[in-house]
Amino acid sequence: MIDLLKIEFKKIATYKVFWILTGLYFLFLGLGIFMAEFILNDWVNNFNKRFPVPMPHVTLYFFPDIWQNLTFFASIRYVLIFPALVIIILITNEFTYKTIRQNIANGMSKKDFLLSKLQIIFLLSVIITLILGLVILFLGISHSDGQQMTLIMQKFWFLPGFFIQVLSYLIFAFFFGFLLRHTGLAIALFTLYTLIIEPVIYYVLKIPALQPNNISPYLPVNSVLKIVEYPAIPFLQKFMGITLQNNVTILSCGISILYASIMVGVVFWVMAKKDL
Amino acid sequence: MKTVLSIHSLSKRYGHIQAVDQLSFQVKKGQVFGILGPNGSGKTTTLSMILSLVKPDAGSYEWFEKPPTKESRKRIGSVIENPNFYPYLSAVNNLKIVAKIKGIPYDSIEDVLNITGLYERRCSHFKTFSFGMKQRLALASALMGNPDLLILDEPTNGLDPQGIAQIRDIILQVAAQGITIILASHLLDEVQKICTDVTVLQKGKMLFSGKVSEVLAVTDCVEIGADDIGHLQKKVVELSGYKTHVVTDDKIFVYFTDSPDLSAINSFFHGNGIILSHLSVRKRTLEQHFLELLQDNQ
Repeated sequence: MIDLLKIEFKKIATYKVFWILTGLYFLFLGLGIFMAEFILNDWVNNFNKRFPVPMPHVTLYFFPDIWQNLTFFASIRYVLIFPALVIIILITNEFTYKTIRQNIANGMSKKDFLLSKLQIIFLLSVIITLILGLVILFLGISHSDGQQMTLIMQKFWFLPGFFIQVLSYLIFAFFFGFLLRHTGLAIALFTLYTLIIEPVIYYVLKIPALQPNNISPYLPVNSVLKIVEYPAIPFLQKFMGITLQNNVTILSCGISILYASIMVGVVFWVMAKKDL
Repeated sequence: MKTVLSIHSLSKRYGHIQAVDQLSFQVKKGQVFGILGPNGSGKTTTLSMILSLVKPDAGSYEWFEKPPTKESRKRIGSVIENPNFYPYLSAVNNLKIVAKIKGIPYDSIEDVLNITGLYERRCSHFKTFSFGMKQRLALASALMGNPDLLILDEPTNGLDPQGIAQIRDIILQVAAQGITIILASHLLDEVQKICTDVTVLQKGKMLFSGKVSEVLAVTDCVEIGADDIGHLQKKVVELSGYKTHVVTDDKIFVYFTDSPDLSAINSFFHGNGIILSHLSVRKRTLEQHFLELLQDNQ
């Protein structure tokens, strides 16, 4: 198992595109996390100038809500797409440069090859989750006072939920990469589907006249996003009429894991059948 | 002699094209085995099947007298079609990946880089290499860890004369060490210069197989003609040293195992009551010979 990861490490260790895209993810993530409170409060200030009933300022970085807030911002689809593109590129490169053929000819099995990609996906998800966890602890501890510190672990479960989000999202990318094989095509269709097609389907399905039993939460990308659906910002509840979650949505975790498992199964099946 | 590879009626169809058709042959240890055929004759498809890249529709193959596994592929060094490497990695890092996959130590990297004359450029990215260097790196990667067998698919394709000479020298050096080699090529003289044994493919079918010295021996061909071609054809096979013949409208081309003796041929037919209307020797080049071999079977 470790040998497969070592092979994968060699492939990315000096690959600039990998580091640039991964770096961009953390850059946008960092900017998002540090700017979010400022942007939200700017909006609140503007609101308060125009309306007589003032809204309280938003605080994102207190325990225990920080777990929910930061995992929410880190899992927005526009942010999560960066590591997904990294995975698509790592997979389709193998087809573009025919290195998958050479890897197999040199003594990898197709199964080993797929496992090596799944391992790098797993590892990348773990690293992203760990880094976010450390940022949460650092920001949370530096912002919270003694009283909040007693609640430090209360919403911790949003972090494992975030891990499932990243892992499932990257497995969708794995699915697109191995089925489409062409870098441009896979990136275009993945981006189109996750950013445009599924949101459109989602809103169409939400129209009660069209779809009395709302099945929109069961769409693949949506089930991932619903794991951490909203940040813990009280005025959202007031203005949008939504019920804030106190914990990760377990049903969505299950649906995401189910989708990811099916996609992995399909990829293994297709790769076993198709020629390289 | 141990059998390195045996193929039993392998077949592969792509749409309506039968790429490989009931192909069977064996490669023994120490042979330099050529697979010769024009482009599209099924060479690459055959190699792809025996390297588990393409699934055969029918048939089977064995490596080292055992069913194929990934472990048997680790003992094989291969170059399939073009050099396939990560363009954004250096030569050394590309070879390290090969070493990791094959489970061999990095020590062999320096050796193969020296053999192929790439040691100085080991830290350059693969994409900066000239085509000749890319081919040599492919050869270097195939040579890693002292493989039991080398599989080379058109190793000199697209190279300039100097590059061709370099690659051929390396292959001959390797062959001299007793490593078994399978070489696919559409170049007759390449196979003749390098290989000990050959299988000639056309449209996925095997035409000939045997020692290079026999199959590709250039013996002159004798053209004969007579009023009764049918009768002539019956008697042709009785000629001494007869190998094969091809009938056209008014002539028969006869091939012999040795240089033909015209007066002996003439007196043979005369003795059998056939008056030849035509008798001549056709000097042939290697290429003509090969084209004739292919044409005979169309």
